[in-house]
Amino acid sequence: MNLTDVVNALAGGIVWIAFTCFVIVALRNAIALLQLFVAAWVFVTRVRPGEGARDLWHRYSDLALPVSVIAPAYNEELSIVQSVKALLALEYPQHEVIVVNDGSKDDTLGELLRAFEMHEIRRTQIAELQQTRIRKTYGSRRYPNLLVIDKENGRKADAANAGIGFARTPLVCVIDADSIIEPDGLLRAAEPFMYDDDRLVAVGGAIRIANGCTVRGGSLQKIGIPKGMVARFQIVEYLRAFLMNRVANAHTNTLMLISGAFGLFRRSTLVEMGGYRHDTVGEDLELIVRMHRFMRERKRDYRISFVPDVVCWTEAPVSLDGLDNQRARWQQGALETLQRHRGMIGNPRYGRIGLLAMPQIVLEDILGPPAELVGYLVLPAAALLGLIDPLMAIAFFFVSVVFGCALSVGTLVLEEQQLKRTPRASDLLRIGAAAILENFGYRQVNLWYRLKGIGRFRRRDTSWAAVPRVGFNG
Amino acid sequence: MNAYEEIVLGTTICAAGILVLFLLLVLRRYLEEHTRMRRDERDAAITRSYLQRVAGHRVDLADGWEREARLSAISRILPLLRGGEKTRLLQIAELDGVLDETVRKSRSIYRTERINAIHFLQRFGSEACIARLREIMARDRDPKVRLEAAFALASNGALPPPRETLRLLKGMHRKPTRLDIALLRATAPLYPEQMVMLLEDDLDVAWRSQIIDALGWSADMSIIDVLGRSAADPEPEIRSAALRASARLGHPVAARWVLAALQDPVTSVRLQAIAASRQLEIRDAVPELLRLCGDSQLWVRLRAEQALEHLAPESLEAPVLEARA
Repeated sequence: MNLTDVVNALAGGIVWIAFTCFVIVALRNAIALLQLFVAAWVFVTRVRPGEGARDLWHRYSDLALPVSVIAPAYNEELSIVQSVKALLALEYPQHEVIVVNDGSKDDTLGELLRAFEMHEIRRTQIAELQQTRIRKTYGSRRYPNLLVIDKENGRKADAANAGIGFARTPLVCVIDADSIIEPDGLLRAAEPFMYDDDRLVAVGGAIRIANGCTVRGGSLQKIGIPKGMVARFQIVEYLRAFLMNRVANAHTNTLMLISGAFGLFRRSTLVEMGGYRHDTVGEDLELIVRMHRFMRERKRDYRISFVPDVVCWTEAPVSLDGLDNQRARWQQGALETLQRHRGMIGNPRYGRIGLLAMPQIVLEDILGPPAELVGYLVLPAAALLGLIDPLMAIAFFFVSVVFGCALSVGTLVLEEQQLKRTPRASDLLRIGAAAILENFGYRQVNLWYRLKGIGRFRRRDTSWAAVPRVGFNG
Repeated sequence: MNAYEEIVLGTTICAAGILVLFLLLVLRRYLEEHTRMRRDERDAAITRSYLQRVAGHRVDLADGWEREARLSAISRILPLLRGGEKTRLLQIAELDGVLDETVRKSRSIYRTERINAIHFLQRFGSEACIARLREIMARDRDPKVRLEAAFALASNGALPPPRETLRLLKGMHRKPTRLDIALLRATAPLYPEQMVMLLEDDLDVAWRSQIIDALGWSADMSIIDVLGRSAADPEPEIRSAALRASARLGHPVAARWVLAALQDPVTSVRLQAIAASRQLEIRDAVPELLRLCGDSQLWVRLRAEQALEHLAPESLEAPVLEARA
């Protein structure tokens, strides 16, 4: 092989890489566009819950399935009392709040015991799903529907499992202790169970970023827009994820993720499945993928639904320092899940989950991020070297960046037309600007964080760093 | 034009289209915000005018008040009025033709529009609205719309008799959902006798048990014998429903079959009996509940424990802990 052959082979390789990156990015965006259309269709044709149904539900409150809200708490002494008060005040006919103190090093437990006049009780654990030891359980004289479980530290999945094991209600709602649930969020999320014919096993709800909002006493008082651009970019990302992807996936019965910040599940199904896995950093994605697998392998007729209305607000990292860790962890969790359930990918035994949803996760989480990042470098280089048509490099820019802008702005159109939760026109314009600007820098930085996540996955890194938060106004 | 040029052009057109749509929505929001004060003043004027008319004053109607604005003003006032005033406002609204547009929309080809119209008709609840809701429930081609009309009628206490309701909703051909149960419960106080007669039909167990459950919401004590007979039915689902209904009705005679059901061989019936003992505050059930704290079924033990916490907390500590051990 002479030098010309080597150069030719190299050129061929570059062209091949360029084409592959182009096709992957185009395919990813084509799917996203399709999801945008499906989501728009769902929103246009959806029937908003009527007063009639809600009136009946209030009148015959025993028909609303009782819910246990499980809030795992770790080092939350500053906010736990307010958060629990807000959870106790949720509008729902019958709900119990189970706070699981996951071996906090601060005074989270003490705060709870004092604020709610709690005393030690003996409560039977129906299913032992956690791997750590339960120290004590506490009940409250003032709030009979509050239970506090004190256990050794074992991360969120373990704490949630402990709570699920103590729940006695047909439904459990697993949240983050710092999630701010809308006063009627639980009611709205549980509504699909009213129309259910016993097939529904889980419901997810739309989550929004609480940065910039005014929060008092653990409740959202006023919706606002954060000052920092990183938080604004995340508003756009959350809108895209919840109003586009999840709505479309739920419509096609291929919903693969219910966020750890808010998810409503049938308790019996969770217990049967053994609850959350402890050995992954992406326990929320893993749970839903395993749920699909579990139900399909047992040939059970089931449904996982999604409520497009906002049910919960959560605080997002305000700087890139906190974001990198979070995004790398999400990526690592997705890869761990794919590895564990690789037998489902493209497997017709799992129906549309195996043939459509799992390959989509592969495209989104394994092929997509490196292909786009490599494409940004290889396509212009190949064009400059005269290996490809320069128009192809320009088309790649349009397919990735311009198309990305269109999708983000398209999601904002959906939000404004259907939910209208942005306070003012000027705020809408600010988020619109963020939807465009995020494609110039932020999007690429995020891809880099995801590559770091791939690295963590390869190293089997199990370290966990908390995402730094600054708290709310008010 | 090659494929890449087409991609660039297509993407540009798509992105520009979406951006224009977004800017139009921002503009719409901006205009809404800047005309809010004027709209508030207009809404206040409309509200004032209707309240004056309800009070019997002559009012000159201003031209240019949109029908939609008048409709939403009436929707706001309506929950604040009662009796004759409410009826008068509904009559005035019908005379003004405020609901014409809503009635027209209830015939729209779009399901969402028909359902939104149903929500308005429900809120008004005038005779004309009820008549239109009944028509929708009987004739609409979409089962979801028929169900929504049924909710609206239930909320206005105007559901047709249970047999008719179930026929219109094609209920007998499927398993009852929680909403069917709610509708049956809403029908029960209106037509208790028809509900009892319905039990004589050849119904499957699921529906029969839900009808019995609904009887508990009838507030008609004369049906207590029917519940007593059902509590001895060979089907456990029916026995459970009879216990639920008895607990709801609150008739003291039900204590007899509730106590007997605490010894039922079927777990679900025992659970229902425990719940009924608690609801009916049957103190005579305490010894039996203490025995159930040692039941072979975990859920029975848990529920018995909870019932005792309510009925006799003092009797709980030692025996329950012993039973647990």
